[in-house]
Order: sequence, then structure tokens, then C-alpha cells
Amino acid sequence: MISCTFLQEMIAALLMGLGLIFLVGSMIGMLRLPDFYSRVHASGNSETLGTMLVFLGLAVYNGVSITSAKLLIILMFIFLGNPIGSHILTKAAYKTGHPVWTKKRLPEEIMSDGDIKGGEANADIHS
Amino acid sequence: MANLDIVRDKRISGSPAVHLLSMAVLLFGFWMLLSGNTQTKFLVYGVLTAIIASWASYPLLLVPNGDDSKRYFVFGINPFKLIAYFIWLLWQLVLANIDVIRATVRPEIEIDPCVVRFRYQTDNPMARVVLANSITLTPGTVTMNLTDDGVYEVHALTVGAADGLRSGDMQQKVAWLYGEPCDFTLLEGKD
Amino acid sequence: MRIFFLVLMGVLLATIGLMLQRVFQGPSIFDRMNGLGVITADTILLIVLFGFLDNQPGMYVDLAMAYAMMGCLGSVVLAKYLGGKKL
Repeated sequence: MISCTFLQEMIAALLMGLGLIFLVGSMIGMLRLPDFYSRVHASGNSETLGTMLVFLGLAVYNGVSITSAKLLIILMFIFLGNPIGSHILTKAAYKTGHPVWTKKRLPEEIMSDGDIKGGEANADIHS
Repeated sequence: MANLDIVRDKRISGSPAVHLLSMAVLLFGFWMLLSGNTQTKFLVYGVLTAIIASWASYPLLLVPNGDDSKRYFVFGINPFKLIAYFIWLLWQLVLANIDVIRATVRPEIEIDPCVVRFRYQTDNPMARVVLANSITLTPGTVTMNLTDDGVYEVHALTVGAADGLRSGDMQQKVAWLYGEPCDFTLLEGKD
Repeated sequence: MRIFFLVLMGVLLATIGLMLQRVFQGPSIFDRMNGLGVITADTILLIVLFGFLDNQPGMYVDLAMAYAMMGCLGSVVLAKYLGGKKL
């Protein structure tokens, strides 16, 4: 059985709640953002912080033990491995010529609506 | 025993004995963490494994610089500076994360993606890797490409993220971490 | 706290479901792989949380550690394959 004090429980709940907010934020970003490159920002990065906060909360909840140390090791793996994964995926997409979505810079477009539908994929960012 | 020649190599920056010892200690710590067993037999196994593994993998962990005049150990960083950098990076991570989530959750998405190009030249190849990894870890910026002559192509999601990259804070921090001069120039993007 | 774990697991399962939608109908192959990466990260969390619900986290943490090591490698290998000789 895991035994923990009230203070420990509160800190763990706070950290995990913050992590939950970041996880939900990354999920919303994943669903709403317009193209692959922007979705990498949502998945690779907000996900990393959310997962790290939840693991930290679990380590606090568990107290000082070998399991907590293992949780921190997992945290380090995620911290080092997640950016490598998202970088190599972006690099593969960039090298194979996946177009980068940018906002249209035409003045009348900005005057009428700065909406997300005003943009389109332009491929001439590649040389 | 081909490793003996490599250990006597004069081009290695720092002392190989310190590198080997620190790596063996690190590996033994990991062994203890995974086994959680303090019997004498397992301790002896752990020490032997750590020494052999660090000795065998040492040549793989030496990275040469551009003209192969020097070789750097991959983990050859001052640990106190690394901890200070880590805490700073975590703080930046939280700030940038809040910024990106605020931009995505609004009813009208406030993003302005663009590609930032800059050149960051260092002698130590690990400094480049650490910078690229830190940029990718910070939300709002993802390193798309890194060429051999030190040109970074970074995809920035919001205006704030791109400005933070152009100001060169992180580049200076990485240069400080490795004790090298900060050679940072901004290249004009095509867009 | 138990209820909190259950809520967290529910959110993670919902995320995995939505990411499966991204995997199946993502416009490009890279979108599909991105969704898979998110599913990997969430699964690690789910395994650990299930261990805490089961009151024996020590066993499940080892599984999660192996999965964390593999998840990063799998993504790198698949991206290398997709990038071809240019990468």
C-alpha cells in the first residue's frame, strides 16, 4: 500500500492537475492547427511538459523510494527522446518537400478577415 | 586493445581518465537503480559491468570537430553549469508552453508560422546538438534542418517565439554552457 | 486521489481515441506518424497510472521504462525510412 501525507497528496494533485491542463491543451492544438508543422508544436512539446509534470506528481505521491527514482529516469528519457523524435519527423517532412503553411500577407486579406481559412500552403519556401 | 591508442590520443579535450571514471560511476548508479539489490555478488557484477561497458564504449562517445584537430567527449560538460541551464530551460519551457496553448485555445487561432534561418558556429559539435534539442523542446519552435556549416532552419509558430529566437538568448546560454564564444548571425529568410 | 487517477486515465483514453482518428485520416504520412508518437507517450503514462491504481507501481514502472526507450527509437527509425537517402 502507498502511504502518503496530506501535504504530499496536495502537491501531487497540483502537479498532475497542471500536467492535465497541458495534455488537454496539446490535444486541442492537435485537432485545430492547420498543417503538419504546426501540429508538431502541439504534439511534441506541450505533450512533453504535460507528461513530465504528471510523472513528477506521481513521484511526489509515491515518496522517496526506488520506484520514484525510476519514474524520474522515465522523465529524463522522455525529456531527451521526445524532441529528437519530433525533430527527425520534421526533418523528413522538410527534406521530402512537404509544403509549409503560412498566412497570406496580402493587405486586403488581412483587412477582410484574419481568419485561418485565409491562408494556403505555399511551396516556394523551398529553394 | 585498440582502445589504448584512442585513450592516449593527444587530441582529446580533457582527461580520458576522468571521463572513464565519471561514466563508470554513472553506469553503476543506473545498475543499482534497476536492480535495487545490495548483495555483494550483485555489487561486484555491477562494478565489473560498469567498467567494461564504459571502456568498450568510450571510442564511440568521442566526436571530432570540423577539421578533426580536436575530439570532444559527449558528456564532457560542467555538471553545475548543466544543472543551472536545465533549470533555466525548464522555466523557458513553461513560459513558452503557456504562450502556445493560449494562442491555440482562443476562438480565433493566433498563429503566424514562419521559417527563421540563422548561423551558429561552434567548435564543439555537442553545443550544436544541445542548441537544436533545446530549440525543439521549447514550444513554438522546431528545428527543421541543421547543416554541417551550422545553418539552422527553424519553424516558428507564433510571432513571440520567432522574436525570442532572433534575440539570441538561448544561443548565448549554450555558448556559456560550453565556455565558447557566441558566434551567432541571423540570415534573412526568403519569405 | 483514486478518482483523480481515473479522471486522468479517462482524458488519456479520449486523447488516444482522437489521435487514432488522426492516424487513420491524417492528410499525409507524417501526420499519421505524429499521431502515433502522441499515442506512444500517452500509453507510457497510462501504464504507470494503471500501476498506481493497482497498488503495485514497482512492476508497471519497469514496463513503462522499456516502452519509453523503445518509443523514441521507433519514431526515429520510421522517420529515417520515410526521409530516404536525403536524411
